[in-house]
Amino acid sequence: MAPQISVEDLSKHYQVHEKDPGLAGSLRAFFARKYKTVKAVDRVTFNIDSGERVGFLGPNGAGKTTTLKVLSGLLYPTSGATRVMGFTPHKREAAYLRRFTLVMGQKQQLLWDLPAIETFLINQAIYEISKADFEATLKELDQLLELGPLLRKQVRKLSLGERMKCELAAALLHRPQVLFLDEPTIGLDVTMQVRIRDFVAEYNARYGATVILTSHYMADVTALCSRLIVIDKGRLLYDGDFKALIERMAPYKIIKLQLPHPLPEGRLAAFGEVQSSEGLNAVLRIPRARATETAARILSEIEVDDVTFEDPPVEDIIRDVFAGGLIPTEKTP
Amino acid sequence: MISLARKYVAFGKAAWSNMLEYRAQILLWMTGSLLMIVMLMVWLGIAADQATVGGFSAVDFTLYYMLGLVVRNMTAVWASWELDTQIREGTLSPQLLRPINPIHNHIAANWVEKIIRLAVTVPIAAFVIALTPGAKIDLSLGALAAVAAALLGAWAVAFFVDYLIGLTAFWTTQTSAFIMGFYGLRIVLSGTAAPMQLFPAEFQAALTALPFRYMLSFPLEIALNKLSPEQILSGLLIQWAWVAAFVFAVAIVWRLAIRSYSAVGA
Repeated sequence: MAPQISVEDLSKHYQVHEKDPGLAGSLRAFFARKYKTVKAVDRVTFNIDSGERVGFLGPNGAGKTTTLKVLSGLLYPTSGATRVMGFTPHKREAAYLRRFTLVMGQKQQLLWDLPAIETFLINQAIYEISKADFEATLKELDQLLELGPLLRKQVRKLSLGERMKCELAAALLHRPQVLFLDEPTIGLDVTMQVRIRDFVAEYNARYGATVILTSHYMADVTALCSRLIVIDKGRLLYDGDFKALIERMAPYKIIKLQLPHPLPEGRLAAFGEVQSSEGLNAVLRIPRARATETAARILSEIEVDDVTFEDPPVEDIIRDVFAGGLIPTEKTP
Repeated sequence: MISLARKYVAFGKAAWSNMLEYRAQILLWMTGSLLMIVMLMVWLGIAADQATVGGFSAVDFTLYYMLGLVVRNMTAVWASWELDTQIREGTLSPQLLRPINPIHNHIAANWVEKIIRLAVTVPIAAFVIALTPGAKIDLSLGALAAVAAALLGAWAVAFFVDYLIGLTAFWTTQTSAFIMGFYGLRIVLSGTAAPMQLFPAEFQAALTALPFRYMLSFPLEIALNKLSPEQILSGLLIQWAWVAAFVFAVAIVWRLAIRSYSAVGA
């Protein structure tokens, strides 16, 4: 079966004009504009199957939003082919527009001066949702998101988190099969981030909807997505399993020790690289392949109060990916 | 068709609630209509010393500008300002994700706005006409039908020209200048500043061919019995040809615009 979303060799280039600062620069720009081509997306290829949850990770300006906009039919690709559910997004057929949704954390569809329910009713008419379906879906979304009294309050009087809950509901009333979520948790506090994240997971589980999520909060992506697509400067840096990325980029584990009494650093160095050692706390970096064996040795050879094993912080890993762009394809142990 | 009507009702209801939030703003926008009253004063002043000016008596001027007040409000369109803002700020994007062309939302909102505009202007016009001795509208059924067709045509020409100008915001940031420029031409050439008949004879052919007359003057000319049946018929033909031309132009330009739209604020 063909993948639900296929992107092949997609590029999107923008022409932006440059202007020197000051009045003279403005005048020059008025008569002869200088143009520069920005490669927002540069020959990106990936396929996504129905029901997958994929995280799009990259710094600001990496090309995440541009890719989602191309997939939503808001942007014409410069070159390359995109297909979603058998449709070509930029043809913007009504049948396609009815079957997906794009939620942008920084843009809203809710009417600012009216209660959210008014936008919901417009969407009911536009997406031709029957009264019964509308009520059933609204009830489910209400349960999952606890919309309750929010629906009848003016949108401009809602908090950012409340508004995002209503935005999500408005975007899902027509039960889209594909969800493009562009920074849905931006600006939200941690509790609300978790709520939104849980909701997306639940929606995906219930309806088998495909989810592409962009975020620069690592936690969103690690909690929700098993598959990760990393892009930077328009280029695809990594596409695959989240665990595999960690193993590739960080072929070591972190062992944190709490000691009953101080040990000389040399004693700890016998187990592996000492990252830090302060009084009763020590942190060691151990090659992944030898982690289990080393842990056993530590426990049998020295006295410890507490031991924890951790993967290096994901932020560090991703920073390494962006910094070097080096992803070893074959890791030699 | 039924589902499209339902969508208009939904857009209309929301526009209505939105409008009630901004009642004062609409009344302020309507102050532009004072121009009709000012021009009426000017022409009544000129007509005071003579029986008629270019075939218009004082009573004619009163009827012309009072009916004109209503027609002007029926053909008031602000879609270009809204489009310009939506395009420049990127707020058009969420609308483009919906399986319906945003123009339908603009049309529904424009129609709903008419309710308030007519609720204010029709009583004023009716009152002034009732108090003017000798002022009466005496039309055959056929002429009434022609007025109705010309009014609908006037709205359509005004709306689609305005929308076409609004669409330029996809390519330029100068749209508000175009809107103002067009507005100026419209005041002079549509019969707002002076009835068409008062223009020199050598301008008449051009005025008849240009679209401006059909946004205000034409239905008024029919209502004031200034046109022969042949002139009414040819006028309706020219008017609706302009409607067709502008609808076609909007459809083509919209398609090109969407192609080049780069969703500002990417």
